[in-house]
Amino acid sequence: MLYINCPHCGMRSQNEFSYGGDASVKRPELNKEVSDQEWDNFVYNRKSLRGKHLELWQHISGCRQWIKVERDTATHEIFRTFKADEEVA
Amino acid sequence: MTLPIETHLLQACVSEPIKPVLDNVVTFGAGHFYVSQSDKGEMVMGGDLDGYNSYAQRGNLPTLQHVLTEGIAMMPFLSKLKMLRTWGGIMDMSMDGSPIIDKTHIEGLYLNCGWCYGGFKATPASGWTFAHTIAQDRVHELNAGYSLNRFNTGHLIDEKGLGTKTWIS
Repeated sequence: MLYINCPHCGMRSQNEFSYGGDASVKRPELNKEVSDQEWDNFVYNRKSLRGKHLELWQHISGCRQWIKVERDTATHEIFRTFKADEEVA
Repeated sequence: MTLPIETHLLQACVSEPIKPVLDNVVTFGAGHFYVSQSDKGEMVMGGDLDGYNSYAQRGNLPTLQHVLTEGIAMMPFLSKLKMLRTWGGIMDMSMDGSPIIDKTHIEGLYLNCGWCYGGFKATPASGWTFAHTIAQDRVHELNAGYSLNRFNTGHLIDEKGLGTKTWIS
């Protein structure tokens, strides 16, 4: 069982969360011409890292907020969690 | 090369051996569950991905509970069985749930990947078309649709594989 420390609610089990994928992916700026390749990178292409991975989760059975989780994909260890709009150093 | 692929985790399990009850593979169409009986009598079961990126080769209980709930809905006698063992493997999940069999922009590098959590029965045909792709340096008409650039052009394959986002179903 994964235990995720929701920055809004505290430590909860993974049953309360839904996964949202790689949080390092940035949506292209829409105020300029966006190439097919940029859309491709945003929608489909992923680094699929082994090791530390910054990812989105949604606390669907709790506060329903999206959060960022820094988790190791090889060991499932969770290091840090952040609010969705927090910049991660 | 960055690929439209994420590495995910899939679990399976076997029960204690019981007398013959099932001579076929049975899948649960309303969800994601399969079961068959081994020659030793063990019930072999599995289903959904755990749902998050993982290389851990081991899973967590919530998904196994969810999968076996589907199994018990279909075959209530499964609830009486003790589990002998469970395990997890890593899956190359493509973004539309279908494989990629194609050349790449690097000369001499060919891709046969993204088989998600299936494809074993497709191995003879995929091997044959992949051999054709390598030997002739061009894709066979049977694997032309499984191109790497389909994600770029929008020609995704709708095989209901769902790829990395299995919860969308």
